[in-house]
Formats: sequence, C-alpha cells, structure tokens
Amino acid sequence: VKISVLFFGATADAAGTRRGEIAISEGASVGLSLDHLIQLYPRLANHKLLIAVNEEYAESETTLKPGDELAIFTPVSGG
Amino acid sequence: MDFFELTTDPLDISSVARRVIPPECGATVTLDGYVRQFTKGRETLYLIYEAYEPMALKEMEKLANAARGQFDISHVSIVHRLGRLEIGETSVVISVAAPHRKAAFEACEWLIKELKRTVPIWKKEIYADGEEWVEGEKESSLPQIQ
Repeated sequence: VKISVLFFGATADAAGTRRGEIAISEGASVGLSLDHLIQLYPRLANHKLLIAVNEEYAESETTLKPGDELAIFTPVSGG
Repeated sequence: MDFFELTTDPLDISSVARRVIPPECGATVTLDGYVRQFTKGRETLYLIYEAYEPMALKEMEKLANAARGQFDISHVSIVHRLGRLEIGETSVVISVAAPHRKAAFEACEWLIKELKRTVPIWKKEIYADGEEWVEGEKESSLPQIQ
C-alpha cells in the first residue's frame, strides 16, 4: 500500500524533499516504514526523530493503513 | 472561546490579549516571545519558522484543554508566527484569562513550556557565521522513534 510522507525543517533538508511516498505491505509498522525511509534518505539517520500518523504522535509499533499520512520530524523548537 | 492561529503576518500582542475578555475573569497574563539577538554570545541575524500546520493547531488545542484541567482559568489564546522573523519581532503570543491572576501566570508558564515540547513548529537560526535548524530537547517524553 502507498503511504504519503511529509518532512519538515531538518528532515526536509536531510531528505532533499518535503513530501514523498513509500510502498509498504499492509499492516506494516511505523518503525518498519522508517527503516525503509532511512534506506531511501540515509541522512535521516543523523537526527533524533519523532513521527506523527494523521497528525497525531505515533509510536514505532503503530501500524499503518492505506491513505495514512506519515510525518517525520526532529524534536520541535517553536516558541 | 479559545483561539489558535498560525500566521506569517506580524503579531499584534494587545489584539490577541484583549480579543476575549470573559465576564467572570479579572486578569489576562500574556507572554510575548520574540527573537533574541544573542544566544550564549552567538549572534542571530534572523529566524525562519515552519510548522506542520494542521497538527500544530490540534496540539495547541490539546494544550489549552489540558491547562484548563489543571489550572483555574477560563480562556487560552495561542498565536505563533511562521516564516522569516527579524530580531525583536514577536514569534509567539500566549494569553490566558482567569478569574484571578495566580492561575493565569502558572498556566501561561506551563503552556509555553509544553508548546516548546509538543507543538510541531521548528526554527532555523541564521547566524552571522552559519545556519541550522534547531532541534528540541531530547529528554522529551514524546515517543521518540530514533
């Protein structure tokens, strides 16, 4: 299944894009998807990462379904 | 009555602070966070902020509701600016209205601390001698994947 992926700030620089798409098997976890993304964009490995699925913070074990929106970003620094 | 906004326009602090004056309230505490020129001796020229906008607005709303659960307050406004900000320009305004001031002070402090930990907004520091995206605190209790 296809999952869209968003990058912001440091992860957008590391990936060289702000938006991508990955193909994963149905029911794959966030952690597995991240491994896949790090293979595609190795510079992501240089950062501490947080992940959101459909605009909510997610854990490694969270499973993904078709149409989910994954966002990958570094610990936040607003304020 | 709460409100949460992200904007690239300059922020008008008093219009945020005075937008909602609930009848049961007697004090509004407002934080004006602005761009610092010197951080530990290093000079910043300007900042760029970006956000995961829909999630940032949802997280702000969660914080306001959590604050109301912990402190005796009525109303919360949070407005964060995005894009390029010059030295001294306001990046964030948090206003908390309460029947009495003490709860408003405490809630405002709690809200900015949590905003810096959970709301998906990032700043890029453009220094006189380089630039970098600032990465937040690592001891955060948010699920950290890597």
